[in-house]
Amino acid sequence: MMATLPRPLGAHGRTLPLPPGVARANWWVIAAIMLAGMSALLPVLQNSSATSRGFRVQSLQARQAELNGQIGELESEVARLTSQDRIERRARAIGLEPSSNPIFITVDVPGPAPAKIPAELLPSPQPRAAGAEPWWRSLFRWLPLPD
Amino acid sequence: MSRHRAPGTFRVWLPAAFLAAFAVLVCVQLVKVQVLDHDRYAAEARAVRRGNDTFYARRGSILDRNGNVLATSVDTWDIYVSPRAWKDAERAANASAVLAPLLKADPAKLRVTVQQSEGGDVLLKRDVDYETGRLILKAAIPGVIALANTARMTPEGDTGASVLGFIGQDNVGLAGIEAQYNDILQGKPGRAVYERDTTGEPIPFGQYIAIKPEAGKDLVLTIDRHLQALAEERLAQAMKDHRAQGGALIMMDPATGEILAMATSPGLRYSTLDLSDNKQIELLRNRAVTDLYEPGSVMKVITAAAAIDAGVVSPNTEYVDNGVTYIYDVPIRNWDNNVYGPQTMTGVLQNSINTGAVFMAQALGADLFHKYMDAFGFGRPTGIDLSGEASGIIRRPADRDWSPVDLATQSFGQSISVTPVQMLTAIAAAINGGNLVRPHLVKAYVGADGKREEVAPEIVSRAVSAQTSAAIRDMLFQVVNPGHAHPAQPKNYTAGGKSGTANVPIPNGYDDRQVASFVGFAPADDPKVLIMVKLDQNQDLMTGTQAAAPIFASLADEVLAYLNVRPDAPKYVVKP
Repeated sequence: MMATLPRPLGAHGRTLPLPPGVARANWWVIAAIMLAGMSALLPVLQNSSATSRGFRVQSLQARQAELNGQIGELESEVARLTSQDRIERRARAIGLEPSSNPIFITVDVPGPAPAKIPAELLPSPQPRAAGAEPWWRSLFRWLPLPD
Repeated sequence: MSRHRAPGTFRVWLPAAFLAAFAVLVCVQLVKVQVLDHDRYAAEARAVRRGNDTFYARRGSILDRNGNVLATSVDTWDIYVSPRAWKDAERAANASAVLAPLLKADPAKLRVTVQQSEGGDVLLKRDVDYETGRLILKAAIPGVIALANTARMTPEGDTGASVLGFIGQDNVGLAGIEAQYNDILQGKPGRAVYERDTTGEPIPFGQYIAIKPEAGKDLVLTIDRHLQALAEERLAQAMKDHRAQGGALIMMDPATGEILAMATSPGLRYSTLDLSDNKQIELLRNRAVTDLYEPGSVMKVITAAAAIDAGVVSPNTEYVDNGVTYIYDVPIRNWDNNVYGPQTMTGVLQNSINTGAVFMAQALGADLFHKYMDAFGFGRPTGIDLSGEASGIIRRPADRDWSPVDLATQSFGQSISVTPVQMLTAIAAAINGGNLVRPHLVKAYVGADGKREEVAPEIVSRAVSAQTSAAIRDMLFQVVNPGHAHPAQPKNYTAGGKSGTANVPIPNGYDDRQVASFVGFAPADDPKVLIMVKLDQNQDLMTGTQAAAPIFASLADEVLAYLNVRPDAPKYVVKP
């Protein structure tokens, strides 16, 4: 039995001529495949991004909760430190004693009245009453007119 | 070549029959599970997969009138364990070994607690402090769930406990201000529903529905923490000195009805509170608003105010005291069995003459007298913002058991029962220009956004005219300043007031137990503070003037100096 070659001898390395337009068609296929591949990857990238952002959000929420908790701890610590009992102990420790017989002095100038209530608990300042400016006048502010 | 089918034998048919029966059983079971019991299993699956947590809103703080914290909430954690995650013995041992030191508990006990539970997540410890909770969360112990919660803290200790009250484990107020203003303090709890994994942890990006909690508002009380502590200290000392069984000491701004301090004894104390002790349940009520007593001679102030306002007497109207007056042959004598002779109405108050009070009540007549009793708020709650307030008991002419003697005895504070707050409010109306004001404990609300809403003082009605009120102030000033030293005289301020000493009523009479009280105000011309000192069943049997008036005098000096009120005693008045 005799072996046969699928191509003629001496034609090794030589490409067969392609019909015109075939090479261009291949690039389109490659581009389409790449586009399809990218489209397939996009949801993966989106998911990955969403996941990492989600964990970041969770981490920030946890941090926020932690800071809120610390604020609460500090507020309660302030309340403990400003309690009458603690202030009295501290005052006695530095040698102060309760006043038993106060002396009243009459002066001509009234002293400043200290605001005992912390600022955040004071009534909020009244908002200024809105002027009687008609609504259309505000449109002039958008124009480059001299003041 | 032809094929021959093997004949059916026992060895073939028997397994085939078993397999067929098994297949039928499987099919039946599938129909049962998927069709007949579908809803039940679906619900169970949802319950297993779905976590459901309630987040309590941060409860509002309670502040005194100067913004000092009386009660506040601190963030804590409730520690739960999912029993499914601790089914494996080794895993449970490892997890409990990490968790136990943080909870200061025995690991074996924790495992037993979790393993013995039959329900869902097991609560291991409530109100774990915030820092420990964070350590537990950081340790990421399998199956351990930390849920945020809050716990109540009172920086001032037991001060004001009877007014503030307390909350239960579910963050609901059970007594005092905490109960009365629970809806405002509590805010709205939030809720989260989420899908969870087999260890009970929320599945990332699983279904998660959350309603955020709305923080409660802060309450600014009319109470001043310094005055409250002072009142409690003085009441405790007075009870000790006079061997009293109980008492009340209340300070009020007579013009607005703001309660500056309210001490009662016996009363609630956080440091010794034990709700498993039935005797302590009685301590939960605030006796200044729930308990009744007969006020005795303090009521003569109201009788005099009514009589002067009606125009039937004036402060200088004279009458002759014979030491006894008869109402339908029933003798009414003076408290000391003394005969005072000719007296003005001011003298009646100065000497606390019972027959003089009867004289004024008879001049008014029963109907007019009771009209004024209504005007002064007797027989109905004052509307103070504390729960359980009593109405008081006052017998009226229309009542079946009414007797004309009742009018006489009511004029000097017997046959009538009042609460301490009711009596104080009536005296406030008599001296503040004639307005019956509503006593109250809350001055303002402060929202989580810092917005403050003031609670305006409320005038309920007009009891007497301004002229009558001025006359009463002057008469009560004469009581405290009779021309010689009086136990109720403050050192630095002018004052007025009236004492009362009444026996405790029992069925068909009175026994030897007594209530000694003094109600006074200062400065006399422009009262800034009205103080009631009341001692229940003082064993030394001293009168209101002897036992309660000196306490008023020293308190008036301290309180007014603290409130920056200029001294107005004669020695401080600068003559031009």
